[in-house]
Amino acid sequence: MADGDNGMERRDFLKTAGAATAAATTTATAGCISSLTGGGGGSLVYARGDHPENYDPQQTTSGEVAKVTNQIFDQLIQFQPGSGGALSDGLAKSDGWSLSGTTATLELKEDVTFHDGSDFTAADVKATIRRFTDENYEYYLGTENASGYAGFTFGNWVDSIDASSEYTVEFTLTQKYAPFLRNLAMFAAAILSQDQITGLDDQTELGTNPIGTGPFSFDELDNSNQRVRLAANNDYFGDGPNVGEVIFKTIGQNSSRAQDVVNGDSHITDNLGAESSTTIEEADTAQIKSKPGINTGYMAFNMARKEAFRDRRVRRAISLAVNTEAIVNDIYQGFAVQTGQPLPEGVMGRNPNVEPYPTDKEQAESLLEEADATDIEFELATFSNPRGYNPSPIQTANQVKSDLEEIGLSVNINQFSTFSSYLDYTSAGNHDACFLGWYTDNADPDNFLYVLLDPKVDMDAVPDGQDWVSFDTEGYSTLNVGGWANTEYMQLVRDGQSTYDEATRKQKYQEASKLAHDEAPWIFVDHAKTIRAINEAVVSDSFTVSSVGGPYLELVELQ
Amino acid sequence: MVSKRFIAKRLLLLVPVLFGVSTFVFAILHLSGGDPARIIAGQRASEEVVRQVRQDLGLNDPILVQYGRFLVDVVQFDFGNSYQVSKGNPVRQVLIARLPVTIELALYGQFIGLALGLPLGILSAIKQDSLLDHTTRIGALAGISVPIYWSGPLLILFFSGYLGIFPAAGRIGSTIFLDNSWTLLGMELPLTGMVTIDTLLLGRPVAWLSAVSHLFLPAITIGVYSMALVSRMMRSSMLEVIRQDYMRTARAKGQGAKITVMKHGFRNAMIPVITVVGIQFGTLLGGAVLTETVFGIGGIGTLIVSAINATDYPVVQGAVLTFALLFTLVNLGVDITYSYLDPRIQQ
Repeated sequence: MADGDNGMERRDFLKTAGAATAAATTTATAGCISSLTGGGGGSLVYARGDHPENYDPQQTTSGEVAKVTNQIFDQLIQFQPGSGGALSDGLAKSDGWSLSGTTATLELKEDVTFHDGSDFTAADVKATIRRFTDENYEYYLGTENASGYAGFTFGNWVDSIDASSEYTVEFTLTQKYAPFLRNLAMFAAAILSQDQITGLDDQTELGTNPIGTGPFSFDELDNSNQRVRLAANNDYFGDGPNVGEVIFKTIGQNSSRAQDVVNGDSHITDNLGAESSTTIEEADTAQIKSKPGINTGYMAFNMARKEAFRDRRVRRAISLAVNTEAIVNDIYQGFAVQTGQPLPEGVMGRNPNVEPYPTDKEQAESLLEEADATDIEFELATFSNPRGYNPSPIQTANQVKSDLEEIGLSVNINQFSTFSSYLDYTSAGNHDACFLGWYTDNADPDNFLYVLLDPKVDMDAVPDGQDWVSFDTEGYSTLNVGGWANTEYMQLVRDGQSTYDEATRKQKYQEASKLAHDEAPWIFVDHAKTIRAINEAVVSDSFTVSSVGGPYLELVELQ
Repeated sequence: MVSKRFIAKRLLLLVPVLFGVSTFVFAILHLSGGDPARIIAGQRASEEVVRQVRQDLGLNDPILVQYGRFLVDVVQFDFGNSYQVSKGNPVRQVLIARLPVTIELALYGQFIGLALGLPLGILSAIKQDSLLDHTTRIGALAGISVPIYWSGPLLILFFSGYLGIFPAAGRIGSTIFLDNSWTLLGMELPLTGMVTIDTLLLGRPVAWLSAVSHLFLPAITIGVYSMALVSRMMRSSMLEVIRQDYMRTARAKGQGAKITVMKHGFRNAMIPVITVVGIQFGTLLGGAVLTETVFGIGGIGTLIVSAINATDYPVVQGAVLTFALLFTLVNLGVDITYSYLDPRIQQ
């Protein structure tokens, strides 16, 4: 009898507990969702794949940091949202910039304040750049802390800065450099507060409490929950912000992040693979928005190491044998477009008459026979983790291997587990061939054609009749992982870099693009699309997908 | 009573274990290739800058010099500053922020493992070869065999995607933020870092419900593995115990079957289970690496993954050593408990 009573009590308890758990769960989950769509501007939740803990734009090369710092800071010049790289005014006035000879002059906006209330002036610009690049500056960040953008954005090009007038900045450049104004729009060119810089004993600390002029101010860094909270800056000088706060949360797994957007626990996310994008496409509560990407994915031939690749016919033969159409459509599942040149659609200098290499194994074989190179064996180095321009590196390598086996070539795939060890290997020139890619910094053709394919050595250092140099040549830039040094090409892109006339630049870059296609220092593979997922709570038109700069969260509105 | 000498001996044994782990971690990291300077400076930095960064970080020093420096710092529980994932910040500070997250997850996983594994193991033993027994054994086998990176997304798909009753990721509602401290009798005290406790300390029931609902799926994911091991061990241990003479004697004296099992059988069968639970805590910590990644939880697990990807030596070293320390301390606790239950161990 007693047992029977106990049994009843247990059942009652289990029923009650079950009901309570279900109710509690539903209430809590519903609470989360309703709180996301609350009024008063609301909270915009952006899910991303990683949670760095330092938000100093000068200390990082990470895109995950940049998407946060772009909300907190402004640049002197900015990219127009969704324009593919058109410039618009930032902290400099819209009609207030000029580039002539080796002088760039910018008129700055007045009445702009930092989040701590201090006024923005030319002194802030000078302090920002000196902190980044000037070893003699008292508040220099230090080589071990400053990111590679220090030289890339300013250091290699800026000779001096004149900030003697409160609202005018004059840069003296080391040479004529057409992309300079675009460099000013890069995320690493964000303008910091001089007051903050000079008030810090340790410059590395700026990233845990960054103060900018942007549409959102830094509010809370919640490392144990991998979140960053930004509050709306109601004194922002530009458009927006239209939400009360932005929360960046972190979910490493693509599928979980996609599900979070479908559930409405996040509003926007990025860097989804093909599979997770399908989750979004099949959901009623979320949608995919995409734009052509400003990036490039390629397989580079290392001419400095592999003698057979010094023959243009061999490179062209391999380009003809590898089925890049299958790579893009089947392996990348249409989230990229096939290409035959370094520059993507929309970037000045892309040659409209250049088509991707067709897959033609017969022609490839006859070219190899002509070059007497029918039994080549080479190593193809590849990274393992997906990257936007190559979301399935191992599968892509296998496709290359099987395509080339069909024409009698042997490929040994050398797979690296970490990207750092991979970059180490390729920048030392230890590979025969390797996969790599590039996301633009400033949407300028120079950012592809000069940066990736010019060796940056003196023209005289390239021996006559040779179109490659070794990696130990003085001044060699290891961003060119193929050793390719075609002097005709180098002249074109160097002319393009120092020419300010847009039409002339365009023509030179189109010629350079055609030359690169014909000489085939790379197998040109793809340009990945820029893909974002948004929940239905976001007013669809208010969110603009941008392939450079952004995300422009100050313009986003919630339903 | 556990002797102090026994505890002291066990504590001393921790030293060579931790020394071995630290040496191993250091060696693995430095032999595995990858250049932190390259990651710090980035793809766009010139070779000259990369060389300079390498010099500044002391990475050009002979490996033994680096190792000596590392050991001197480690004994002071100083792992240096993070190279990348928390650039410039002391690793110790990063670990202190992340550790409670992982411990909380492991504890809930352990709780689920014990709460389900013990009764299932007992029932399986006393109803040997019944349908329940077979089901439990198959379930346990599946629980051990199914990898977390598969079961986690599957649970998300079903409970979050299909049923829509649990959130897919995170530890608490996206817009719920907690204070940094709580007040007791006018005193400001630090929080524990464990959201299900902190929300209670702060008196925020809605936040607590959110935390519980967020922890449910990850705890189940990690707990199922634990449950499978516990139930298997409990079953075999219980099967051995119920065949003992004293069990038969108790029944012969007229004691009810349930009371005999629970009063005499359970306590004796628990001794080997305690050992398994202790060892398994380490497995749970390891499982946290995957579970945290799948569910977007910012504990030591995700920290290790990020740090490995970024070649952030100090963070990887600090995190692995912290795991090792935790694991050895838990095992020490198990040894002490075990020797308390069975004093012969101390001999």
